[in-house]
Amino acid sequence: MMYFQRKQLNSIFILSCLWFVAACDGNNKHSLSENSIIYCSEGSPESFNPQTVSSGTTIDATSNQLYNRLISYKGERNSIAPSLAKSWHVTRDGKMITFYLRKNVSFHKTSFFTPTRFFNADDVLFSFNRILSVNHPYHHVSGGKYPFFQSVNFSTVVDSIEKINDYTVRFKFKYADSSILANLASDFAVILSKEYADKLAEKNQQQKIDTAPIGTGPFKLKEYRAGAYIRFATHENYWQKNISIEQLIFDITPSNTGRLTKLLAGECDVIAFPIAHQKIKSKPALELEEVTSFNVAYLGFNTEKPPFNNIKVRQAIALSVNKNEIINTVYRGKADIAHSLLPTTSWAYNKGILPQPFDIEKAKVLLADAGFPEGFTMNLWALPVQRAYNPDAVTMAKLIQANLKKIGIKVVIENSLDMGTFLDLLSRGEHQSVLLGWSADHPDPDNFFTPLLSCSAALSGNNRTFWCNEEFDNLTHQALQTTNILQRKRIYTKALAIIATETPLIPIAHSKRFQARHSNVSGKLLSPFGGIDFSEVSKN
Amino acid sequence: MARDKIYSEEEFPSPLLQLWYNFKQTPVVMVGFSCFLFLTLLAIFSPLLTPYTSVENNLSFLLLPPAWHDDGNVSFLLGTDNLGRDMLSRLIHGTSLTFGLSFIVVLISLVIGVVIGSISALTSGIKSSFLNHFLDVILSIPSLLLAIVIVAILGPGLSNTLWAIIMVLIPQFVHITRNAVTEEFKKDYVLASRLDGASSLRILHYSVFPNIVEKLISQATLAQSAAILDIAALGFLGLGAQIPMPEWGAMLKNGIDLFYIAPWTVYLPGLAILFSVVATNLVGEGMRHALKMRKEA
Amino acid sequence: MFLLSLLSFSLSFLFPGEQLINISGQINATTQQLALLAEQYQSHDNIFQQYLAYIDKLFHGDLGLSMASQQPISTEIISFLPATIELSLVALLLAMTVGIPIGFIAAIYHRKMADNVILSVSMIGYSIPVFWLGLLAILIFSIQLGWLPSAGQISLLYEIEHVTGIQFFDILISSSPYKWQAFQNASSHIFLPACVIALAPATIFVRLARTAMMDVLDSQYIRAAKAKGLSFWQMIYHHAIRNAMVHVIRDVGLQFANLVTLAMVTEVIFSWPGIGRWLIESISQRDYTAIHGGLLALSSFIFVVHIITDFIYAALNPLARENKHGS
Repeated sequence: MMYFQRKQLNSIFILSCLWFVAACDGNNKHSLSENSIIYCSEGSPESFNPQTVSSGTTIDATSNQLYNRLISYKGERNSIAPSLAKSWHVTRDGKMITFYLRKNVSFHKTSFFTPTRFFNADDVLFSFNRILSVNHPYHHVSGGKYPFFQSVNFSTVVDSIEKINDYTVRFKFKYADSSILANLASDFAVILSKEYADKLAEKNQQQKIDTAPIGTGPFKLKEYRAGAYIRFATHENYWQKNISIEQLIFDITPSNTGRLTKLLAGECDVIAFPIAHQKIKSKPALELEEVTSFNVAYLGFNTEKPPFNNIKVRQAIALSVNKNEIINTVYRGKADIAHSLLPTTSWAYNKGILPQPFDIEKAKVLLADAGFPEGFTMNLWALPVQRAYNPDAVTMAKLIQANLKKIGIKVVIENSLDMGTFLDLLSRGEHQSVLLGWSADHPDPDNFFTPLLSCSAALSGNNRTFWCNEEFDNLTHQALQTTNILQRKRIYTKALAIIATETPLIPIAHSKRFQARHSNVSGKLLSPFGGIDFSEVSKN
Repeated sequence: MARDKIYSEEEFPSPLLQLWYNFKQTPVVMVGFSCFLFLTLLAIFSPLLTPYTSVENNLSFLLLPPAWHDDGNVSFLLGTDNLGRDMLSRLIHGTSLTFGLSFIVVLISLVIGVVIGSISALTSGIKSSFLNHFLDVILSIPSLLLAIVIVAILGPGLSNTLWAIIMVLIPQFVHITRNAVTEEFKKDYVLASRLDGASSLRILHYSVFPNIVEKLISQATLAQSAAILDIAALGFLGLGAQIPMPEWGAMLKNGIDLFYIAPWTVYLPGLAILFSVVATNLVGEGMRHALKMRKEA
Repeated sequence: MFLLSLLSFSLSFLFPGEQLINISGQINATTQQLALLAEQYQSHDNIFQQYLAYIDKLFHGDLGLSMASQQPISTEIISFLPATIELSLVALLLAMTVGIPIGFIAAIYHRKMADNVILSVSMIGYSIPVFWLGLLAILIFSIQLGWLPSAGQISLLYEIEHVTGIQFFDILISSSPYKWQAFQNASSHIFLPACVIALAPATIFVRLARTAMMDVLDSQYIRAAKAKGLSFWQMIYHHAIRNAMVHVIRDVGLQFANLVTLAMVTEVIFSWPGIGRWLIESISQRDYTAIHGGLLALSSFIFVVHIITDFIYAALNPLARENKHGS
């Protein structure tokens, strides 16, 4: 009898504990999830400073979240609008721009740094001189590479930056460059804190400026666990409108199915690069967004390595790639075939551009002409992560492999590297050919030419084709000298013709960028170029 | 003129035949056995049976659902995957990989294990005690973990997986053989043979082995189901067979990415693995049950 | 233990690549640093000295750096191992609480329909590949029914500091105002993977418990109890269960190793931050130092568990103890 009594007491105790736990549910959890947004991202950022990288994953995580720029893009027509600079004045010859800075903008206050002053001209000078001047104490911190700025010849264009007073800065240029404002408004031209930099230099911890970031943006970094998550908290003193969420978390999930699972199970509010669009559309609680991006996916040849230094070989391959098949398989029809580097939405696009012919027989003839009647073996490096321009580079590589087999070329696919190593080796020219792409940083068409195919980009390694054509370079320079749209369009058409003949790369597709979210998340996130922006997002 | 037999003869079937009779009695086990035979036939004759090859890309028929769906196509009975490969052909080819190879692996480790086990049972002294301790250590590590270790050393790939699993299964057979042989050696009939002047090898061959064959076979079926699961697990983790080989575990790994668009690429290989493991287990269970019944009878 | 260390030491020679780099993980070392390392690991002396140097380093907790992340491996292992232990223990508990009673019931209803049904279901449970089961479980319980989450240890909304690595302890220790919700959240996160892992061992427990109970039911003292006049259920509660349990406990230790292996595969599917997922990632990335350290850690862990269960068994079962004290 005693035995049973003890048992009953035990069970009552357990039941009451459970009830207690269950009853404690409710109010608090609701408010916690109402004020937080969890975003499932596709990869880990390489650094927390957009200046030093070019990868879209890093830009998504950092640029619009942690930092601001002097000027930014706003509105339907993507016009340049003030940000940290209230206004600016450009001289008629285009060689000087004066920026009048905003007052009372605070930097982040975190567990590792407390700012003692507002943002001023010193910070602007620091952020840009770091890139421009090789002797700057912070130039070589974190590798000394500034891919975007190198690709747009920033150090060649900019002569000097002067501080007129605490809230006025003057940029002087060696020659006029009509894309300079666009470049300064891009996601890479962020403003860092000089005070923080000085403090770090005292403690000899300079690299922390890129790993433990301080900026003026809507969110500040709270915690980062590599490969797992990034935790942002709201910047209480943000100079722009109030941010409605308190916590922003990036849940790093490289697997496509994993991200969609988390969205369906309610563990993520927004996900990057969703798959299975039908499934998402069929659920009323979810929304699928799409935006026509300024991007292009291409097959690039390393023109410094044989056999791709031979133009006939490149042209032969261009004739054998079946782009329609790729659009249907890899993009599931949700992309446009790329007839040139420029997407059709760019104002510089010329409707007269003819599509690339698809002709296997001609390709075989060309190949034999080039001295390879039996074909050859080549390696094709495929991008290891998902990007807006290419959701599945490995499948694309396999399709191209099957295409090229028909003209006798054996393709070996290389896709075992992680993104960091991949980009590193690419910039050193270790590849023969690569499946990569480009998402424009701003709507100026120069962004498709100079960072991708110019001679200076070949020097810095950002031009993955290492193709350097004087005539092409001259044309792109010319186009930057004038602000006349019609003139520029004509020049760019000529440049595109050169690319079509020389074929340093084969443009494959312009895709849309998708994103999926729960219907209770509102606010603009995606933009046709550049990274995502959570400052206007809220949850109902 | 033939006459009917007047005296009914009593037949005493041999132990093996007795086993077979007992085995046949449970209908469930017979079903399992026939499935097992079916799988073996598939494994051996797979190239002849499949409508397409296992790596052929039918790029115009990507991601077709199985034929009973509205969008399905009868020429691709179980659908296709993201590169247009026919699921049915791949599954059948996979039988020879996952199922057939597990069979071969078990056979090889059985032979090697028995040899080592008998040697260890016959010898005594430092060598054998060292072997014993070594075996105990290895036996305490689960088979999948050990296989992962070995694959980590050798590198991923199907052949390395096979070596790994062979090495993992050998200790089990050694252990059983050694215990069984030692036990048998203590029995009287062995003593009798020795007194007759038989050498150890002869005793082993004629007297002891027939008695331990059954234990070996039941252990072999256990080992085979473990081997199937291990090969598939290693394929799933990306350490075993690499895509585009149609090994079931690797097919499952490929299917995860397509889970929402083409769920049959996940269901089908998993069902295949389940089916083969259940068939093997049924056969093993039946055999153990038959053994027990024979001992009791 | 000795053998284990010997095996793992030889691993560094077996892996491709330079032995010194494999053992220390410093892939970007300059020649100076390499010379220093050579000193530390005594690679210029004979094999025996090298082995001693290796053991010495082990005792100081230095397992080298991971080639992929350049973090010391001992810190990585310490941060991941508790999560695996947590998951395995919960799975073990589940397997025992479900498997053993069912096994007892099967033994009690031996040769009746309940027994056959239980045996067939447990056979299927034993044959399902664990990774497939995990995928199906996520499909059914996370997506279609939406009852349980599909990945991770706890929702990222809660900021729980990583103190011990065992989520439940960390929640109790933390200063978050949302403790109860975090606790609930963590329980819902652990439930699905633990169930998936527990299925196969549960079926084994069913079988073990069944055999143990059948043996016990056949024994003399049960018959005596029946003769005494105890009702059937009283007899089961007071006598049979305890004795059958003792036999089962001995095998629990062996099963734990099996369970940890299943946990490793399941961790990959559920993105559980445990040592299994870390080890498998290291293998795919060919991070030899990490593989090395991870294997050593895992095998020692299993070894320790074996010893612990042996002790528990000896403590519970007076019969086993007797031999040790001599008769």
